[in-house]
Amino acid sequence: MVLLENDSFLTELTRLFQKCRTSGSVAITLKKYDGRTKPVPKKGHPESFEPADNKCLIRASDGKKKISTVVSTKEVIKFQMAYSNLLRAHIDGLKKKDKKSKSKKTKATQ
Amino acid sequence: MPYYQTWEEFARAAEKLYLADPMKVRVVLKYRHCDGNLCIKVTDNAVCLQYKTDQAQDVKKIEKLHGKLMRLMVSKETHSGSMEMD
Repeated sequence: MVLLENDSFLTELTRLFQKCRTSGSVAITLKKYDGRTKPVPKKGHPESFEPADNKCLIRASDGKKKISTVVSTKEVIKFQMAYSNLLRAHIDGLKKKDKKSKSKKTKATQ
Repeated sequence: MPYYQTWEEFARAAEKLYLADPMKVRVVLKYRHCDGNLCIKVTDNAVCLQYKTDQAQDVKKIEKLHGKLMRLMVSKETHSGSMEMD
């Protein structure tokens, strides 16, 4: 699992989307993160760790390649804008509704 | 693992589940361009909520919910009162 900076993560995520256009899926996971770098102690050991409250972990994978990044409050605004644009730009293979509710006219008006 | 039929119900349930225990909940988004569908899942490893779509109009909704949850996760408030929407 590669931990990247926010910008590198977005670049790599773009690449993942491009790679999977012909086959495969892109899976993105989002989870709140408290900044711990060590596994949870089993018992007896008091946790000398202060959980941070303002971070989240974002992971992405195409089944083979895995990337991840940590976003905190300071970066979230910028990251979220770029991330939304990215999603909207790449998730474009879905069906579009082309009927603009013209089916209102059931009665023939004469 | 039920797939919700309406976006409204899914979004409400997802946010409720997250607020119940923010540390446990994770959000998974899976996109398949070759099949033309997008699936979003919100789970706390006990309850699992899913929504699947192949409609372009749902992409914006899903992406907005994703952003909302992201912002909730990085905010220090334990109880989200007002959400500022741009």
